[in-house]
Amino acid sequence: MRRRKSLWLGAIASIAALGLAACGGSSTTPTPTTAGFNAASTAVVNSSTHVGGTITYNDTTWPDSLDAGNTYYAHMWNFTRLYASPLMTYASCVGTCGLKLIPALATAPGVPSNGDKTWTYTIKSGMKFSDGTPITSADVKYAVMRTFAKDVLVNGPSYFISLLAGNAATYKGPYKMKGVDLTSIQTPNSTTVVFQLNKPFADFNYIAAIPQTAPVPQSKDTGASYQLHFVSSGPYMLQSATLNKQWVLVKNPNWNPAMDPAVHQYAAKIIVNVNPNANDIDNRLIAGDINMDIAGTGVQSAARARILTNASLKASSDDPITGFMFFIYQNTQVAPLTNVHCRMAIEFAANKTTLLDAFGGPYQGTTASTAMPPNIVGWQHFDLYNAASHPTGDITSAKQQLSLCGQPHGFTTGIAYRSDRPRDVAMAQALQAALAPVGIKLTLHGFPSGSYYSNFAGVPTYMKTHGLGLATGGWGADWPDAWGWFDQIANGNAIASAGNTNISMLNDPVVNDALAKMQAPGQSQAQLNVIAQQINMQVMKDAAIVPVVYAKALLYRSPALTNVMVQPYYGMYNYGTLGSK
Amino acid sequence: MTAPIEAPTDIAAPEIVLEGAGAKAIEGRSLGQIAWMRLRRDKVAMGGGVVIIALILIAIFGPFFVQNPTIYHPSLINPTLSTPNGTLGGISAAHPLGVEPSTGRDMLSRVVNGARISLLIAFLATALAVVIGVVMGVIAGYFGGWTDSVIARLMDIFLAFPLLVFAIALVGVMPSSAFGLSGNGLRIWLLIFIIGFFAWPYMGRIIRGQTLSLREREFVDAARSMGARGPYVLFRELLPNLWGPILVYATLLIPTNILFEAALSYLGVGIIPPQPTWGGMVSDAVTNGFYQIDPMFMIIPGFAIFLTVLAFNLFGDGLRDALDPRSR
Repeated sequence: MRRRKSLWLGAIASIAALGLAACGGSSTTPTPTTAGFNAASTAVVNSSTHVGGTITYNDTTWPDSLDAGNTYYAHMWNFTRLYASPLMTYASCVGTCGLKLIPALATAPGVPSNGDKTWTYTIKSGMKFSDGTPITSADVKYAVMRTFAKDVLVNGPSYFISLLAGNAATYKGPYKMKGVDLTSIQTPNSTTVVFQLNKPFADFNYIAAIPQTAPVPQSKDTGASYQLHFVSSGPYMLQSATLNKQWVLVKNPNWNPAMDPAVHQYAAKIIVNVNPNANDIDNRLIAGDINMDIAGTGVQSAARARILTNASLKASSDDPITGFMFFIYQNTQVAPLTNVHCRMAIEFAANKTTLLDAFGGPYQGTTASTAMPPNIVGWQHFDLYNAASHPTGDITSAKQQLSLCGQPHGFTTGIAYRSDRPRDVAMAQALQAALAPVGIKLTLHGFPSGSYYSNFAGVPTYMKTHGLGLATGGWGADWPDAWGWFDQIANGNAIASAGNTNISMLNDPVVNDALAKMQAPGQSQAQLNVIAQQINMQVMKDAAIVPVVYAKALLYRSPALTNVMVQPYYGMYNYGTLGSK
Repeated sequence: MTAPIEAPTDIAAPEIVLEGAGAKAIEGRSLGQIAWMRLRRDKVAMGGGVVIIALILIAIFGPFFVQNPTIYHPSLINPTLSTPNGTLGGISAAHPLGVEPSTGRDMLSRVVNGARISLLIAFLATALAVVIGVVMGVIAGYFGGWTDSVIARLMDIFLAFPLLVFAIALVGVMPSSAFGLSGNGLRIWLLIFIIGFFAWPYMGRIIRGQTLSLREREFVDAARSMGARGPYVLFRELLPNLWGPILVYATLLIPTNILFEAALSYLGVGIIPPQPTWGGMVSDAVTNGFYQIDPMFMIIPGFAIFLTVLAFNLFGDGLRDALDPRSR
């Protein structure tokens, strides 16, 4: 009998403990100092030049790469400025001011000539890498040359590959073609870099702002593993990097603040820890154990509910429009999605309400019905698939489209998503539930976000072999105009065999030609707006993507940080200006 | 005087009348019957047994009586906070256990559907572990020497194996259809194999220890002295005496395996959504942080697991007491 009694006592104790834990909630959050809800979207919060302290970030996964020349996540383009100075950069200010380009490593914006086909940059003299060696134009040229090795450095856009003249069409990168010179870039002296393009490109300064132009010394380059011991040209340098666990940055003693006016050297140390549990990251952020969630896409559901129902927590948060969209890409090469009507069936049947709920509701975005966000110049509203009139899905039209594509009883296909991003998981499941009533069966396939684009969703052969017709994803414009938004996701010429961002495998001549036309010289803004709308409309007519939200992000502003501002180009906090109290 | 050379026919054969036993002859009771009677007297264990039977019935038949667990009800949740409207996770007449946060799916139907998968995997994985563990443990314990050393080292290797890493790797390389199965069908068998195949050393060690002590007993010597060979001793002498520990540790293994499946779900290698499992629901509640804003989402599947564990423990305890002649 004694054994029984202790069993019952144990049972009662554990029920009680469960109940207490459930009611425990947020009793241990410290009271933060506040500047008001959304303050960092319109002003710099906790402005200070105080030097010292440590900033701790968390990341749910090791990034696609720490190497500035091999990464394509917006938060990494933001973060890499701490150790890699590109030719140009975005000004560190709020509002539309933050969308302007300013020179970083360059002395001034590039000088075009030859009808916008030649662009000349002068880099600042006397600048040094973190190991003391001088930064020369050859290092900028080499940084661009290595991006041609798409088999080694799979991530990142491929603008240089498609735009440069000379022998760019046959150049395969410095690892395969040792000793071969890329003739499209000339370095007449140690501070001048000249880019020769194969067609006019008015937006080239935007391309110069991509981290791929940050200098890399050829003698220290080791290809894909360079990320673990890179040489720095920014205010911080790498102290240690343990793959899939942590990387630590310390001050670069050879940093010259003139090199990049948009970033600062305030904190003494920056630590980034990998923490696979996104919800735990939010808990630690609110408790003050860490200072920032590096992904910058907003807190998860539980933290959102806590923040929005607690006045002091809400006053320490910001809800900017990020300029991103979250989509579900439809792979036009995977049967039966090869037929546009099957894709349109999915567009009609998608339940916009449950998709928005999965993404986090009104503080995380608004329902989208076009392929481009409203903040891009030239955007106009349209709604081809009845998102407004049928917010829970238009089953009737979906069934009609299924008959038109020859699959009246539906079909089966796979959906790829990032398993460490709770919003992706929820979106995939919401779409699965929404498509079930029309007979479309989705099988779920989760992948880690660090290798999502390099190994899975971004590898067309993988998607095709595994029957993955759909893939979740988010997208931000490479630069804030319609060309910078659409080129890498909708241009047939941008399809790559790994690190592919045109996941829909869209190759529509209407879209390709319109994109080319946008870069032709001498167009007025009104003409460009018309073309932007054409591209937007055509991508939706092709049903290449299922738009989910025009994203916002509910970000928690750690009270221990100084100089916190929302940088509108990155759509999240500016990691280049942060300091520690 | 006549000699009684014939049995007298006019006297009835003596009969012993047993009270309340229906006028039967006295018979010896078998071990099984004794055990059953002792078990029947143990009310707590019978309670556990009833709950187990109820759970099995719910798992088999329940899904036919509840609504579809994959249907979203966005109107029942608050879109800003993702929490269910109403109290206690949205309990109402239409949804007696409330709804899930963010999706609005009915909790009762998810728990009932989850019972099927959770119990199926736990039972079959335990069965696999028990079969392998008992065979290996008995062989190691009985034969001793070289065989014992090899099997003991084998157990050490299995126990030291990085199981979660292996599970992730195996799920990763497994094609989406193999052995004629695909999707969740394949995944369930994979999980049963992984969980069961790596849990056998737990059972093996216990059985080996029990066998080591049992083989020194007199009845084993007696059987051997009568010419019994290895297999006979193993199956007719040792195994019947091992039922007690086998059953008790099997019942302890079942809830461990339910939680193991939950851990694998958290790592993305468990059952594929939207099929609910209790472990998966608890994982969702914890990893998405919903337990902080809607505690019922964790309490309900957590209670289901708790009830199952309790029932198996109580029943297993009672069973062991009933089978072990020396415990009171």
